[in-house]
Amino acid sequence: MKPIIEVENLTKKYNGGVTAVKEISFQVEQGEIFGFLGPNGAGKSTTIMMLNTLLSPTSGRARVAGFDVVEKPDQVRMSLGYISQDLAIDDILTGRENLYLQAGFYHLSRKKASERSKELLDLVALTERADDQVETYSGGMRKRLDIAAGLIHRPKVLFLDEPTLGLDIQTRHQIWDYINYLRKEMNMTFFLTTHYMDEADALCNRIAIIDKGIIKVIDSPASLKNQVRGEVVCIQFSETSEDKIADALPIISSLSIVENVKQRDSGCMAVVRDGDTAIPEIFRVIHSKGLKINSVTLKKPSLDEVYMAFTGKTLGNERESNGNTHRTVRT
Amino acid sequence: MEIRTAPFAHDAKENESTMKLTLPSDIYYVCWRDMKRFLSQKSRILMTLVQPLIWLVLMGNMMSGMTNNPYGARMLGVKNYIDFMTPGIMIMTALFSGTFCGFSLVWDRRFGFLNKMLAAPISRMAIPVGKMTATSLQITLQVIIIGIIALVMGVTFSSGVFGFLLIAIIAGIFSFAMAGVSLSIAVFFKTLEGLHPILNFLTMPLMFMSNAIFPKAAMPNWMKIISDWNPLTYAITPMRTLVVEGWVLEKIIPGLVITIGFAFVMVLISTWQFNRSIA
Ligand SMILES: Nc1ncnc2c1ncn2[C@@H]1O[C@H](COP(=O)(O)OP(=O)(O)OP(=O)(O)O)[C@@H](O)[C@H]1O
Ligand SMILES: [Mg+2]
Repeated sequence: MKPIIEVENLTKKYNGGVTAVKEISFQVEQGEIFGFLGPNGAGKSTTIMMLNTLLSPTSGRARVAGFDVVEKPDQVRMSLGYISQDLAIDDILTGRENLYLQAGFYHLSRKKASERSKELLDLVALTERADDQVETYSGGMRKRLDIAAGLIHRPKVLFLDEPTLGLDIQTRHQIWDYINYLRKEMNMTFFLTTHYMDEADALCNRIAIIDKGIIKVIDSPASLKNQVRGEVVCIQFSETSEDKIADALPIISSLSIVENVKQRDSGCMAVVRDGDTAIPEIFRVIHSKGLKINSVTLKKPSLDEVYMAFTGKTLGNERESNGNTHRTVRT
Repeated sequence: MEIRTAPFAHDAKENESTMKLTLPSDIYYVCWRDMKRFLSQKSRILMTLVQPLIWLVLMGNMMSGMTNNPYGARMLGVKNYIDFMTPGIMIMTALFSGTFCGFSLVWDRRFGFLNKMLAAPISRMAIPVGKMTATSLQITLQVIIIGIIALVMGVTFSSGVFGFLLIAIIAGIFSFAMAGVSLSIAVFFKTLEGLHPILNFLTMPLMFMSNAIFPKAAMPNWMKIISDWNPLTYAITPMRTLVVEGWVLEKIIPGLVITIGFAFVMVLISTWQFNRSIA
C-alpha cells in the first residue's frame, strides 16, 4: 500500500529570509501515529502548514492521501483534518454550533452533521455542555471540542499541532486515549508535533526529530533509545562561565569511557558506557580544569537523551540564541 | 500490522463528487457564523440601534431650525429636517457598520479561525463574500429598524411600504460593497489597532463629502466635485428620493444601478485581494 503522506525534499523559505524547513523527506504509512519532535522554531508548524495546504512550499513535493498538495489542494483538504496550535474554535458559538459549522465547511448534509456531532460530543465527553457558549468552557474542554471538530468529516489523516500544550496531565492522557482509539477503530493516520518527550514516547509509532529545519533522525521510540547505549551522567557546575565549561568539554569527551558529551546550561551531559567507573574519571579531569561541581546524577537514557544527542538541547531549556542561529538571512 | 479499509475512504469519495457546487453553501456557512456572532452579542445590537436613535433625536431637534428658515428648507428640499436626515442616518449606519467588516477578518486571522477555514475545502471566494453578505443582512435589518423609529417620530415615507423596503435594500447593497472595501484593506493587517485608523481615515471623508448630511446646494464647488465621485452619494440619492419625493424613477434608477455595480466590483476586488493575501 502507498504511504498516506509522502514528502520529498520539501523546503520553505519565508519572505523575511528565514528558511524554516530545509529539504526534508519522509513517509508516513496509513494507520501510523507519526510524531514531529523539535524545539521552538524548528519548523514543525511550518511543515504541517505545507502539508495541509496553508502554506505553499518553496520547493520540493508533498502528497497527502495520494494527492499533491499544490496541484490538488481541494482533494487534500477533504482528506485531512487540522487541529492547529492555536485554539481555533469560535467561542461566541456553542459547542454544537461549532461542530455544525465545521460540518458545513466539509459539505456534510445536515442529517449527517447532527448525527456526527452527537457522536463526537459523546466521544469528547461534552454532551452536557454542548449547548453552552464555548466562552464558558475550560481550556481542556475547548481543546477537546477543537479535536472533535477536526474529526467531523472523518479525515484519513489528522494533523495535530501540539495537541496537548498547556493541558493538565489527566486531559493529556484522555487525548492520547482518543488518538489511540481512533487509530485502532478507524485506522486513521496521525501526524502530530510535540514538545513533550513522554508524549512522543507513549503515543507515536515513529518519531522524527527536527531541528533548525532539518530532520536529524526518524525511527521508533524504542530503537531511538537503543541508539543511546549505556548510561547518562548529568553534571551541574557551580561555575557558570561559559568559556570554562566549553574548555572542559573536549577533555571529558577525550576520555575513552565517554561516548559523547553535550553542554547543557551551566553543566553537561555525558553518555558513558559504565557510570560507576566513569564518574570518578570525569571528576578528575574536571577538577584539573579548576571547575567546581554542584551536583551529579546518573540515569538510564530516555528519549530526552536521544533528543539531546541529536539537537544538543533539552526540551524546555532552549535559550533564545539557539533559536536564532539557524536564520539564513538572504539579501 | 493489520490494515483495514478505513470507513473514511468511502466518505471522502462521496464528498468529492459534490465539490464543484459548493460555493453557495460555503457562502451560507461563512455568513451563518457571522450572523450568529452578531446576534449573540447583545451589546453590539443595542449600540447599533441606540446610536442612530441619538442621531435622529439630537440632529433632528438641533437642526430643525434650518427648515424654519425658508432658504434652508429650499436648499434641503424638505419641509422637516428629519425627513432629510433619516436617509442620512441610514446610510451612515451602512457606512460605519459596513466598514466594520474588515475587523472580523483580522480577528479570524489572529485567533487562527481563518486558517481553520482555509484548511477546509471551502471555496476561497466564499470567505470574503460570506462576510460581506452577513454584514449586508445585518445592516438591512438595522435600517429597517431605524426606519420604524423614524416613522414613529413622524417621518413620512412618500413611496410607501415598497419604497421603505427598497431603501433598506439599497442600504444593504451599499454596505455589502463597503464591507468589500473594508476587507480589501484588512487583508494586509495583522492587528485591529493597525487597521482601525485606516478605516477611520476612509469613512470620515466619505461621510462628509457627500450629500448625506449636508445638501449639495450648500457645498463649495470643490466638495461638489468630490461628492460626485463618492459612491455614497449614489446610494443616498435614491434613498432620499424614496423618502421625500416618492417613486421618481429618473432619480432612483441611476443611483441604484451604480450602487449594484459598486457591489459587484467589490466582490471581484475583495476576492482578488483575499486570494493574494493567502497565497
Ligand atoms: N510567517 C512567518 N514569516 C517569517 N518567518 C516565520 C513565519 N512563521 C514562522 N517563521 C519562522 O520559521 C521558523 C520555524 O517556525 P515554526 O513555527 O515552523 O516552528 P515550530 O517548530 O512550530 O515552533 P514552535 O514549537 O514554537 O511552535 C522560525 O524561525 C520562525 O521564526
Ligand atoms: Mg509550532
